[in-house]
Amino acid sequence: MTRDEVLKHLEKIEDLPTLPEVVSRIIVLAQSPDVNIRDLSGLIHRDPPLAAKVLKVANAPYYRCFLKDIDSLDRAIILLGMEEIVNIVTSVSVMSVFVDKGRGTGFKRKQFWNHCVATGIIARSFARELSAKTAGKEFVGGLLHDIGKILLDAYFHSSFVEAYEYSIENRCPLFMAESRILGITHMEVGYLLALKWGLPQYLGDIILNHHWPDKARFKDMVAIVSIANLLAKAGKYAYGGEKSSFILSDQSGWQVLDNMGYTVGAVDMERFTMSMDNVGKEVDSYITTVSGHSNGR
Amino acid sequence: MGDSTVPLGYAKSSMSEEDFRLLRDFIYENSGIYFSDAKKDLLENRLSLRLKANNLKDYQEYYYMLRYGPQQSREIKALFDSVSTNETSFFRSPPQIQALQDYALIDVVKKRLERGENILRMWSAGCSTGEEPYTMAIVVKEFLKERLSEWDVKILASDISERALSSARRAEYNAYSLRSMPDLLKYKYFDNSGNTYKVKDEIKKLVELQYLNFVDSKRVSLMQGFDIVFCRNVLIYFDDALRKRFVSQLYDSLIPGGYLFIGHSESLHNITRAFKLVHFPGALAYKKE
Ligand SMILES: [Fe+2]
Ligand SMILES: [Fe+2]
Repeated sequence: MTRDEVLKHLEKIEDLPTLPEVVSRIIVLAQSPDVNIRDLSGLIHRDPPLAAKVLKVANAPYYRCFLKDIDSLDRAIILLGMEEIVNIVTSVSVMSVFVDKGRGTGFKRKQFWNHCVATGIIARSFARELSAKTAGKEFVGGLLHDIGKILLDAYFHSSFVEAYEYSIENRCPLFMAESRILGITHMEVGYLLALKWGLPQYLGDIILNHHWPDKARFKDMVAIVSIANLLAKAGKYAYGGEKSSFILSDQSGWQVLDNMGYTVGAVDMERFTMSMDNVGKEVDSYITTVSGHSNGR
Repeated sequence: MGDSTVPLGYAKSSMSEEDFRLLRDFIYENSGIYFSDAKKDLLENRLSLRLKANNLKDYQEYYYMLRYGPQQSREIKALFDSVSTNETSFFRSPPQIQALQDYALIDVVKKRLERGENILRMWSAGCSTGEEPYTMAIVVKEFLKERLSEWDVKILASDISERALSSARRAEYNAYSLRSMPDLLKYKYFDNSGNTYKVKDEIKKLVELQYLNFVDSKRVSLMQGFDIVFCRNVLIYFDDALRKRFVSQLYDSLIPGGYLFIGHSESLHNITRAFKLVHFPGALAYKKE
């Protein structure tokens, strides 16, 4: 298969998943300078299942620095801030588009989501470790960085499976196998989807550049996700056959952060890596919250 | 390690703060092993048997015996045996062994070959009763297979406890210490009778056992030219100063491109930045470049 064939094919697909209209409007609204709580809350309320999920996530252990349950969307917006609510809306709705359409029917789908959620959680902890001002966007980015893989799996299934197996056999990155067998990578395909859906620019940047953060525009955000991606693979959350042995300080993501003045050298990466051994519970609970199914192991 | 378990609460006499400090300092000076205040119970527990063996009434007497007694040097050895033993087994921390097998070993062998050498040197620093160095030897044998005979392989295994070393020399283990090891390897590399597994000669001869006290920095500095060093759960016993000095000696003991493995839950972050941290699946190591 060639790149053009894939692109043409993607163009023609009519049942390409779409983002709910409300969500697109929320994303547009969030980027406008005069966004206010009432408008945001009003929009989310137009999609009751979405509103319920947002509230559920807002009550998840990670956000629970508050004594009482957050019982209304307006309170959630006040307590967590609009930016964080938009993060939650974006993650929950993009993930739902794919997850709700029959979980586990795709190729190694559970393993895929585990990898994505773990990457998001690790990115968030790493950003906090660096005091990076990425405002929770690194979580959304980690969660969605490999979204193109789902499209490849859904519309070019047998080639994608072939690429996956090729990467395992040859211990090479999945994107290399994809480009060999499909002529296109999950980054490009994911990026096309991000454009089509009007996802925020930082997300498109992460989706396109997470394997070479030095080429990114939102450099620190992409670098953080790229490192989280590596750490997720070195932990229990690999997806694809890449050799997960690496020297962190030689990685371009690390160097990008270093050049930007982040004190990466001061982070005890040993302890950090060991503490990420325990993300499993959080991964499961996030998937359960968003999908409404349990992430049975 | 049946012989190293000490029944809890054995000692009749309890250790005073004063005795604790005296003994703690004595042990630290002589072995580098440091018992922080929080580890008082542990030390007391470990020394209670020495009290009994020497028929002493309290820890103060024991301290005088160590300092001035006629059998001083013999007792110091017994003391090292009691304070240094720690639980170990074959293929302990499987991800680390996997990393040795799948990545580090391949890497160092390749580097040696590029230089036209077929020498492999490893060091099990703090080898206790031998499970670790024999595990390393089995991994090397499994990797090199028939080519092993063309290679000059030596795994140096050192410990401060004479008793642990002589147990390592016997190379007899029970099923429990082999629990993490694949059955095929047990079958290939051990002579089994009943509950006893004896390491076969082809593995045993790759390992050279040696007494070494890490405080003895002159002797430690003679340790040179290693491709891979395992020093697991040793640093935790040291205080900061010794830890720093010893880790820099470990660094010097490696050849460029060599790897250091430390305990699964240990970190060199606050000790040195000389190494490069390497991530393996489920395991970390340090590389000298
Ligand atoms: Fe990727
Ligand atoms: Fe990924």
